[in-house]
Amino acid sequence: MNDRLIFHIDVNSAYLSWEATYRKQHGEKVDLREIPSVVGGDEESRHGIVLAKSVSAKKYNIKTGETLYEARQKCPEIVIVPPRYWLYIQCSNAFNEILNEYTPKIQRFSIDESFLDFTGMQNLYPDYMNIAFTIKERIKKELGLTVNIGISNNKLLAKIASDFKKPDRVHTLFPWEIKEKMWPLPVEDLFMVGRATLPKLNKLNIFTIGDLAQYDLEILKSFLKSHGVLIWDYANGIDDSPVRKSNHIEMKGLGNSTTIPFDVEDKKTAHLILLSLTETVAARLRNSHNCCRVVSVSIRDTNFINYSHQRRLYCPTDCTNIIAEASYKLFNESWKGAPIRHLGIHLTELCTNEFYQYSLFDKNSIEKLRSIDKTIDEIRIKYGSKSVQRSSFLHSGIRNMTGGVGEEDYPVMTSLL
Amino acid sequence: MKVVAKPIEVIAWFKTDGVPKPLRFRINDNDSKTVIKVDRIMQIDTEKLAGNPMIVFRCQSLINDVTKVYELKYELTTCKWILYKI
Repeated sequence: MNDRLIFHIDVNSAYLSWEATYRKQHGEKVDLREIPSVVGGDEESRHGIVLAKSVSAKKYNIKTGETLYEARQKCPEIVIVPPRYWLYIQCSNAFNEILNEYTPKIQRFSIDESFLDFTGMQNLYPDYMNIAFTIKERIKKELGLTVNIGISNNKLLAKIASDFKKPDRVHTLFPWEIKEKMWPLPVEDLFMVGRATLPKLNKLNIFTIGDLAQYDLEILKSFLKSHGVLIWDYANGIDDSPVRKSNHIEMKGLGNSTTIPFDVEDKKTAHLILLSLTETVAARLRNSHNCCRVVSVSIRDTNFINYSHQRRLYCPTDCTNIIAEASYKLFNESWKGAPIRHLGIHLTELCTNEFYQYSLFDKNSIEKLRSIDKTIDEIRIKYGSKSVQRSSFLHSGIRNMTGGVGEEDYPVMTSLL
Repeated sequence: MKVVAKPIEVIAWFKTDGVPKPLRFRINDNDSKTVIKVDRIMQIDTEKLAGNPMIVFRCQSLINDVTKVYELKYELTTCKWILYKI
């Protein structure tokens, strides 16, 4: 496995670069990348957080994920532009189209990063640095974007390498370079070490990746269980995951959630929002040819207190109505009465929907429910999600299907390499 | 040439090779309408910035007795024309 050659290509501040290039193409004079600017959600509907920032916004210490209000306090003249997901998908497709000309083995890791496998192509591309610079320059010329390329012989090291110094760079991080290039970095720069793991590691006197790599694995295991082994491996540059054609891994569950534009104070509205989430999540469940056995509802109230409640159903199901009813029950049982800001539904314990277990106590004819679900799905695929909707959503101000970024085929982030 | 990026109305000739040739275009200002005949297409390029394909025409016309060079852009996904630079 040691003679693999993996590239990780990452678009520098993707959302912002794409927006800036798109605007330049349409004749805008200022380049968003050269001024303090951020891509931010809609504050009216309370999605007002920083999604991406420019390099000069970074100088004001603006961080991704903080509120636009905080960003404006740090830099009053900041330019805020709304996100355009269709544009990002279009850019991401064009980006991957170029990569496809170099190797067939590509894994789209998320909307703005891809892994490329160049193993065994020494005859085609004798000098890997050369090819990396060619790709980088081509993307810059054709798509108007700068990218970072990390090169190594596994995916983990390639990903860390592409994160070194930005923008518009090529870095290598081969196993013999780990000690010198990776170990002095702070431990939170390591993939899979986030804000939950970091304080635990700091408590163990681990501050750099090198500290972690040289730590006693057994002690780590006793504190962090299997996750400890994983990050210890990563700190030592051990990873042998293949470059997969697709990110699709066997799904264990699926869910949708939404931040509501207003505070929900009564059950009826909450139920309506749960129904609209169920419409989305159940359609996705059926599309994946699965039934679910466990339904879970999560609630975040205006004090930012989160809680959730779940239940096993008697029989696995994929019917919108049954899932919605279960979610109402769960909601009624768990809601503590405070105004609600955010609601989510998650379905787990999936099994195939090839056959369906009936129960003696089914209220409605399951056959009928399933056939109406199937028909509605087909209509919505053909004519759009608003073509058929329940009358309870009329004049309610709530969309008939909520959840997701509002665009299909959006490659989402994953924590698995 | 300066970037103006003005939406324009265009009469174009679509040839069998699939490339449209702008013949004349009209700039609608607040109250005046100016029609400009495209005298010569000097260069045709395609660009794909931000994954958005556009055909860029560098053209030349006689405007108010002065020969001017300018750029028109045709956005393939929306079929819109813009006077990009003049």
